[in-house]
Amino acid sequence: MITKFLTNVSTTFNPFSPRAKTARNFLALLPPNARSTMKVDVKMLPRTSKEPIRLSLKFKDGKEMDLDLQKLKIGDVEEEVNRHSRGLARQEELSGN
Amino acid sequence: MPPRLRLEPRHLRVRISSANHASQQCCYASVATATTPAPPIDQTIRSVPPVLRYPTTQPPSYKPPQFRKSQLHRQYASLLRSTPLMLLFQHNNLRSVEWMAIRRELVTALRKVDAELAAAGGSAESNAAVADSVKAQILQTGIFASALKVVEFYHPAQDQEPRTPHPSDPATPTSARIPDTHPSPADPRHTHSLSEAAHRAAADRKLRHGLEPLLSGPLMAVTFPTVTPQHLAAVLRTLAPNPAFPAPRRRAVPSYHEPAVQAGLAKLMLLGARVEGRVFDMEGARWVGGIQGGLGGLRGQLVAMLQGMGAGVTTALEGAGRSLYFTMESRRMDLAGEGKPKEEGAEAKEGA
Repeated sequence: MITKFLTNVSTTFNPFSPRAKTARNFLALLPPNARSTMKVDVKMLPRTSKEPIRLSLKFKDGKEMDLDLQKLKIGDVEEEVNRHSRGLARQEELSGN
Repeated sequence: MPPRLRLEPRHLRVRISSANHASQQCCYASVATATTPAPPIDQTIRSVPPVLRYPTTQPPSYKPPQFRKSQLHRQYASLLRSTPLMLLFQHNNLRSVEWMAIRRELVTALRKVDAELAAAGGSAESNAAVADSVKAQILQTGIFASALKVVEFYHPAQDQEPRTPHPSDPATPTSARIPDTHPSPADPRHTHSLSEAAHRAAADRKLRHGLEPLLSGPLMAVTFPTVTPQHLAAVLRTLAPNPAFPAPRRRAVPSYHEPAVQAGLAKLMLLGARVEGRVFDMEGARWVGGIQGGLGGLRGQLVAMLQGMGAGVTTALEGAGRSLYFTMESRRMDLAGEGKPKEEGAEAKEGA
């Protein structure tokens, strides 16, 4: 997954819900130095809470992405992030930075 | 070609007639008949004790035992059986220096708790040094999940005694207790956690132990040898600080605030806990860690509560007895009042 263009990751989940696996896997995909390059905000809910799982990302160009983890699996999330990041990478390359 | 020896019939006749049978018997062992002594009567009455076909420490395993995963499975099953208190964390790409720093901080915090408990005195149970037995280890998630199912759902009958003569029986040639099992994993008498029976018990997908949603992704476990709320609180303060369990101050423990430790802690997430077979979430783990005074304190509270209850029960029971006593006494007084003439009659009899 291309994490170079992420600036903000914020997620809320209840680890005991079966769908929270996606959010946890996403956090596990971030590189070891992720906390120095982006803001990572993780909020974990108690076991009994029924709140939906939320994962919202912000990119360097200001785009905000709210992902519905009730439907998406980790592969789909990765695909979404990579699609936008590739566009950003191309722009960066063309502008010569 | 070797030179042909001339063989004369006369020579042959001489050798046969010499009747040297002993040497011929030696030559033809297959033809020889030896008399076998009859087996002793003892052997014909009872069978010989079984011979173990495998080392006692290596009973036949369902999965190939030489694989690392089989051994990890065995190790995790043993860990789960021996630890009553276990915290589960997710670790997101920690570096080895960060692991090292976190483990160091954990050990210092736990040793401090041990020293405090030893200084405070108390029972020998609470004084046992726990710090060196608390381990933080990374788990192979899938194998751990399987081992947890074996531990939770496979309970072989405990009364399966090895069907061998007692070691002190003089008929036993060896003092080792040898189970009468076949050297194949399919034998249902094998009850270790790598046996086929254990595998079948754990293969049922409908069984739920409650920790399934946590068992995915990178996992780390902190295991305790006993349920000690004080040590648990120290671990929570170190690894998962929050307002209820504040992290140590910079002045008190400067090494805790080094960048390696802090960077590592930011990537650790407390998921849940398993306390004496029951599943707790983060709040539950913090509740266990927040028990004041540890297990001793809990026992003290229980004793106080029971004592209060005991006093109540005593007064209640006594009250019933007392009221009965009062009723009976008043009734007796009444009867005594009515029965005066009778008494007089009795006196009259005595007089007569």
